Amino acid sequence: MNKKVLATFFATVLAATTLAGCGGGSAPASPAAGGAGGDATAQADSSAGKQTDGKNLPTLTTEPLEITLWDIATEDPAKSTQEGAVQRFMKDYPNIKVNQVHQQNDNYKQQLVVAMSSGQAPDIYVHWGGGPMAEYYKSGFANDLTEMYAKYDHPEFIDAAVAQSTYDGKMLAIPFGGLSGCDIFYNKTIFKDLGLEVPKTIDELEAVCEKLKANNIIPFSLANASKWTGSMYYMYLVARHSGNAEFDAAYTQENGGTFTSDAFVYAGTKIQDWVKKGYFPDGVNSLSADDNQDRALLYDGSAAMMLHGAWQVSGIKTDSEEWYNENLGVFRFPEDSEAKAKGVPQDVEIGTAIGMGMSFNCFKEDKSVDQEKLDACYVLATQYYNDDTYNNDQLSSGTQPSIKGMEENIDDPNMKTIADVFFNASNVQLWYDQYLPASVTEVHKNCMTELFGLEKTPEQIGQEHDAAMKKALAEQ
Amino acid sequence: MKNGNNPGLAQARAKSIAKAATVFLLPALLLITIYIIYPVIDTFVISGYKWNGISSDRIFVGMENWVSLIHDEMFWKSFKHNLIVMVFSILLQIPLGMLLATFLDAGGKKFNIFKIIWFLPYLMSSVAIAFLFVYALATNGGIVSSLATIIHGKKTTIDLLGTAPNALYTVIGVMAWQFTPFYMVYFIAGYGNIDTSIYEAAIIDGATRWQYIKRIAIPLLGPIFKTACTMSLIGSLKYFDMIWNMTQGGPAGSTELMATYMYKLSFQQFNMGYGSAVAAGMFLLITAIALIFNKAFKVKEEY
Amino acid sequence: MVNSNMSDADYRKSKIKSRVAWGVAIFFACIWLLLTLTPFFFMIINSFRKQFDMLQQGVFHLPDPWYFKNYTNVVTHGFFGYFMRSVLVVAVSLVLMLIISAFAAYPLARMNFKLNPIIYALIVAMMSVPMHVTLIPIFKLTTAVGLYDTLRSLIGPYVAFALPMSVFILTAFMKTIPKEVEESAEIDGCNRYQNFFKMILPLSKSGLSTLAIYNGVSMWNEFAFANTLLITPERKTLPLALGQFKGEHSLDIPIILAVLTLSVLPMITLFIIFQDKLVKGMMAGAVKG
Repeated sequence: MNKKVLATFFATVLAATTLAGCGGGSAPASPAAGGAGGDATAQADSSAGKQTDGKNLPTLTTEPLEITLWDIATEDPAKSTQEGAVQRFMKDYPNIKVNQVHQQNDNYKQQLVVAMSSGQAPDIYVHWGGGPMAEYYKSGFANDLTEMYAKYDHPEFIDAAVAQSTYDGKMLAIPFGGLSGCDIFYNKTIFKDLGLEVPKTIDELEAVCEKLKANNIIPFSLANASKWTGSMYYMYLVARHSGNAEFDAAYTQENGGTFTSDAFVYAGTKIQDWVKKGYFPDGVNSLSADDNQDRALLYDGSAAMMLHGAWQVSGIKTDSEEWYNENLGVFRFPEDSEAKAKGVPQDVEIGTAIGMGMSFNCFKEDKSVDQEKLDACYVLATQYYNDDTYNNDQLSSGTQPSIKGMEENIDDPNMKTIADVFFNASNVQLWYDQYLPASVTEVHKNCMTELFGLEKTPEQIGQEHDAAMKKALAEQ
Repeated sequence: MKNGNNPGLAQARAKSIAKAATVFLLPALLLITIYIIYPVIDTFVISGYKWNGISSDRIFVGMENWVSLIHDEMFWKSFKHNLIVMVFSILLQIPLGMLLATFLDAGGKKFNIFKIIWFLPYLMSSVAIAFLFVYALATNGGIVSSLATIIHGKKTTIDLLGTAPNALYTVIGVMAWQFTPFYMVYFIAGYGNIDTSIYEAAIIDGATRWQYIKRIAIPLLGPIFKTACTMSLIGSLKYFDMIWNMTQGGPAGSTELMATYMYKLSFQQFNMGYGSAVAAGMFLLITAIALIFNKAFKVKEEY
Repeated sequence: MVNSNMSDADYRKSKIKSRVAWGVAIFFACIWLLLTLTPFFFMIINSFRKQFDMLQQGVFHLPDPWYFKNYTNVVTHGFFGYFMRSVLVVAVSLVLMLIISAFAAYPLARMNFKLNPIIYALIVAMMSVPMHVTLIPIFKLTTAVGLYDTLRSLIGPYVAFALPMSVFILTAFMKTIPKEVEESAEIDGCNRYQNFFKMILPLSKSGLSTLAIYNGVSMWNEFAFANTLLITPERKTLPLALGQFKGEHSLDIPIILAVLTLSVLPMITLFIIFQDKLVKGMMAGAVKG
């Protein structure tokens, strides 16, 4: 993930320079510890105690101000967590009214396109980073936050989160969704009953699968109608076989980089081998993760493992805390011992460091920055979202905030494992379907269906990726 | 209508007809212009640009999008899917609807319960139908796979939505499930429109009910048939809702239709310019097919 | 089928034949009945389950235990408001649409003027417009006239989008009305407008009923426009109520099925109540010479 490391580095350097440039002698001592709860020294101009008192933040307007915020928190716990942040903000700044609109996830991207193209975009909107964030910025719908982030207090987000909120060296979003690693969830009870150990290598994993198969249990629960679910297996096998090297090369299509290189063929072949051996449910391409059909297979004990994002913890807990406590364990994706022997790093993990970020669209009619509004948005996003209350809510519902030191507050053993894996990663590869350009994503997803459906060979899907990638690069 | 035998009178008549026609047509034309024609023109205009859909900058590229469209395999593949859906929709929905309507028409009031239940699927939203069928057809415990397991005596999986050729035909089946009830009601109305004296006369002349249906009712329903076919034709060529909720064009693009392809390009891939070309191309193709269909099956009409 | 020209044997034979035919017909009718009912059955039983029970027990067992909270939950989440707003929008749009399309179909079906074929072709061609291309223009228009986020904003698109198909169908229906009807009315001294209201409109009842069903259902279930044009929860219509129960990574399926059941229930009730009238309306189209 040279690209991402570079981006992080770039962002940090940029932040440091602007810090030195703007802050002068009175640069903030530290970029705020943890987020909220700092010392209660009231500032002169504030009458009542605010949770932002004593912090190095822009002074917000006392004039009436309205802010529109679009999110996709239609359901608890996310809904009450995020509404809580807005409520606390409005209590501290009664002159500022935040219209928080919960959009439906399914159509959210479309809603944003419609609103933006009609000049009615909200002041704050949430997104998943990646290509779309870049697109919003290039089209003039995202404020560059680099300077503000350097100048003012903010929670100390982990580097990967800052990197994923950065495009072209500019910080464009404030993370708030929490990080999500991708690991293998498994049914502890089944493992115990069959005397199975958590596998450390892919060979051991295959042995576990064989044993499960022999006991009429489906090794992996996978609902691949959603396509990004199958992609997780592909991404991990590529990462274990080659670290980031081959993917990064293929991404640029330069220096012989291609999606038909070793690691991709290895990953594809392995998956098809597993399909043939019956490691996945029958009709894997017709089961849908959106309808939780993969979880259902875990619940009724017909499947034993499931490679999935960390949000499954909160999802499964919501479904049944009892089942969760009794049965669910998690382990990191096993290592490729052959590749390891050759010195390929085995600690590249798949996932997202921000979950979601919020970008600000605070511009005046003449397209200059509406600083007054932007200041308010910044304070809301960094000090009320991401404050202690918010982070505790996140933790208790099974989401790990993307803030340094947060991992120490976790008691849930599964979440602890997930956090450890994440923080010990040398690099976090963002999901291909968010990292790749949108047109390549579509090809990638279709290829995942064809791969699991044994309709195309690993080489063929590699070629299709290449063709799409070349076309996308040419259009940029 | 040539009633006037005096040229002055005919002229006055034509004038008064034009006036009346204007009055009657005005509200509809106004609404259609604002809400449909204007967006269509807009779509054609946008199809000349390279535009991500949100930026204030669009780059004029002339016919570039259209040239790409003509060479776009995915577009023609989805068009082919649309044609398959169209043919099967007409072949399934219309005859089935006709059959059900005939049954109800012949059976009269005592079959009301059939009519009510048969009509139910049409009352449901596409979202709900997609959702229910995804579950009913799931390989893990869906109705079809469960039945197959029982019949076969051992675990049998019938994957109707997850494999390439099956998925499209499954979707066609679900569409038939959804829309047949509407054509049923449509044909019941058609039967109702036939003068009862015609039926009585036919029976007195010794026709059986079947003969009446074959020789008299169906020919009389000609125009209604044609309208129903046109509706089914257009509906299936621009179909979106249920398929979007059920497969999103998958697996591997095997149920991709022109509308889902257009939607992905315009709203998910930041390619509004090209998406508009797809939409405009789609509009032209559908209109052309509808036109050809209506010319090919010219039913005698009279004013 | 009693027939004086038939011999006794023939009559018996035809009676048996018709009995067999009916038997076969009813057999297939029952199969179709099963096909239509099954998904409803699953929708309803699964709406009486807890989320976890459904995922664990599978979709096809009877709920154990029967769980009624989904319904109370839906009802206490403002279901009634969503419902009433839907009723309002659909009623207004439907009535307007029927009047306007009958207006438009009348001259197209029964008047001979130069532009007739062109206007007819234009309206019919608008049936082939994919609705998604209109989202952005209509959104812009709605915000420009200040109707954004009001129920009224839906009426325009609902009526407009139902028009091409409705005009198309009604024109076909009105063409089947014998011209003598109008001529005799004209002799009685009716002008064109009276003619329309007194003769043509009542005779088009069957077409209008069909259209009411066709468009009523699609308006009731319409999602895309409503989702784009309405934003405040207190102003949203019924198809958007589902969104309340859909999270990013979680989906409480039984409660969604409860919402779906509750939304389709009024339609079913209406259909059961009015289907008799509807059929009579349809039959009323029959013209006695």
